[in-house]
Amino acid sequence: MTTPTPARPRARRTLSEEGLALLLLLPAALIFGAVMLYPMLTTLYNSLFVNSLTEPYLGTPFVGLKHYADMLHDGRFLNALRNTLVYGLLTVSGSFLIGVPMALVAHAESRARWLARVAMLLPWAMPPVISALIFQWLFNGQYGVVNDLLVRLHLVSSPVAFLTSPVLAGVVLVVTVVWKTSSFVALIALGGLQGIPQELTEAAEVDGAGRVQSFWRVTLPMLAPALAVAFIFRAISAIQVFDIPYALTGGGPTASQYGATETLGIYIYRTTLEFLDFGYGAALSVALFAVSLAITALYVRFVRGDA
Amino acid sequence: MKREALPARLARYAGLILLIVGGTFPLVWIALTSLKSGPELQQFPVQYLPTHPAWSNYARVFTEQPFATFFVNSLIVSGVSTVLCVVVASLAAYALARLKLRRRNVYTTLVVVFSMFPVISLVVPLFRILRGANLLNTYPALILPYTALSLPVAILVLIAFFGSIPRDLEAAAMIDGCSRLGALRRVVVPLSAPGIVTAALLVFVNSWNEFLLALSFNTSRTMRTVSVGVTLYQGEFAFPWPLISAAIVIAVVPLVLLIVLFQKRFVTGLTAGGVKA
Repeated sequence: MTTPTPARPRARRTLSEEGLALLLLLPAALIFGAVMLYPMLTTLYNSLFVNSLTEPYLGTPFVGLKHYADMLHDGRFLNALRNTLVYGLLTVSGSFLIGVPMALVAHAESRARWLARVAMLLPWAMPPVISALIFQWLFNGQYGVVNDLLVRLHLVSSPVAFLTSPVLAGVVLVVTVVWKTSSFVALIALGGLQGIPQELTEAAEVDGAGRVQSFWRVTLPMLAPALAVAFIFRAISAIQVFDIPYALTGGGPTASQYGATETLGIYIYRTTLEFLDFGYGAALSVALFAVSLAITALYVRFVRGDA
Repeated sequence: MKREALPARLARYAGLILLIVGGTFPLVWIALTSLKSGPELQQFPVQYLPTHPAWSNYARVFTEQPFATFFVNSLIVSGVSTVLCVVVASLAAYALARLKLRRRNVYTTLVVVFSMFPVISLVVPLFRILRGANLLNTYPALILPYTALSLPVAILVLIAFFGSIPRDLEAAAMIDGCSRLGALRRVVVPLSAPGIVTAALLVFVNSWNEFLLALSFNTSRTMRTVSVGVTLYQGEFAFPWPLISAAIVIAVVPLVLLIVLFQKRFVTGLTAGGVKA
């Protein structure tokens, strides 16, 4: 015979630590499930069907992996993929070339340190869309300050139409993204620098190493784990980049047939929200996620190898 | 400390000046542009300082679009997301950092995986869910996704902070009669205040800056947020740059204030969370 009523408070009192932990994880799990996991699974499912609002007569038949096979022959997809990889490579390496020296400057003792930190954090905190608008104005083809400086320095004779040239628009895109994201690398590197015991660099200098040598031999190797973490996060955000090229160039200008700065993110946006081809758009989304996940796997392996 | 050699000092000053100019110039330029009038703008070579500051650009930001409404919308959406996200993240991070839990690494790895979800993949399915629930053009339409999107980073930052608090302090509180959750509230949370502030700042900045979901879910004129709002001033053929610049300045005021006030907190907090994550 069971008496369920008094069992309840006892169960609550003897809730194990593990039970409590799971209970505390529950709200996060519910939010992740509802807002991320479930929508992502829906996307995966939709990628197997035709579903295009502009071609309603096709219905929504199951087509299996057809969308994925189509991608391999889709010139616009291949162009966007190439753009994403090229701009990703340039912006990620650019943000390290600028970000690591930034961290060294911000780490050095100085009365202007707070100002250095503000200057370092501003680009990081700026909304991507707004960064794009700002750089669009800086590189304006008629009244832009960059053109003004180039003309004053006699580097060019008349203003350059940066954003209508496929190559130069790409350069502006890279500059904008590097400006915006170097801070992130610098922040992570700064954390790494603060974790390096000062005795180490001092010992190297006592042993006769110059500043440059002690940087390459002591500081940089000690910084490597932090930089690896920064690299993974930068690589993911480079592959998913959308806001900045969308607001800066809209994916254009048009080089031959396709947009010179159209990234995968922009192509997915156009496919789903402008061409309303939800099936193919979903497949493109899954492909993007798969690449991100592959990088995540690298990250997890790195973290585990490090611990 | 021994005195630096002159070349090293010069290099340091040069680096400092480059960093400060490079980091702030684009925004300074936008602030100058926001005070120019049409003729001052259309000059080449460029006129650097506005001779007659056109403060009217700032008034027009509010009359041409309901920018005050956008601003309040952003404050509400970002504020509520921040509170919700920090509470949920604190609970989860406490479980992951301090409690006996099997497969802890699996859960933590899952949190990292969630941080890698491309937002663009979520737009269409979330749109359908929100439409089904009649939530398009409401605050929750943005608050729920923003909470989810910032949850991974908030959890990772808080795990790092909770992990750094000595276990003995909690144990002592529990011997003195606190329950587990009592110890969390009375010992861990107060000691982790710096971490919680960092996490809150992060969530706020993320939510204030988000563009794609705000653009897609809240399309009615009165439900826009500022990150979408600043893009609404461009006409079909013209970019009224002074007006856009003024809108940008207003949109980033909260961010600049947070950065100036909390610059030290951001650096220590982010690096503590980022590197150990």
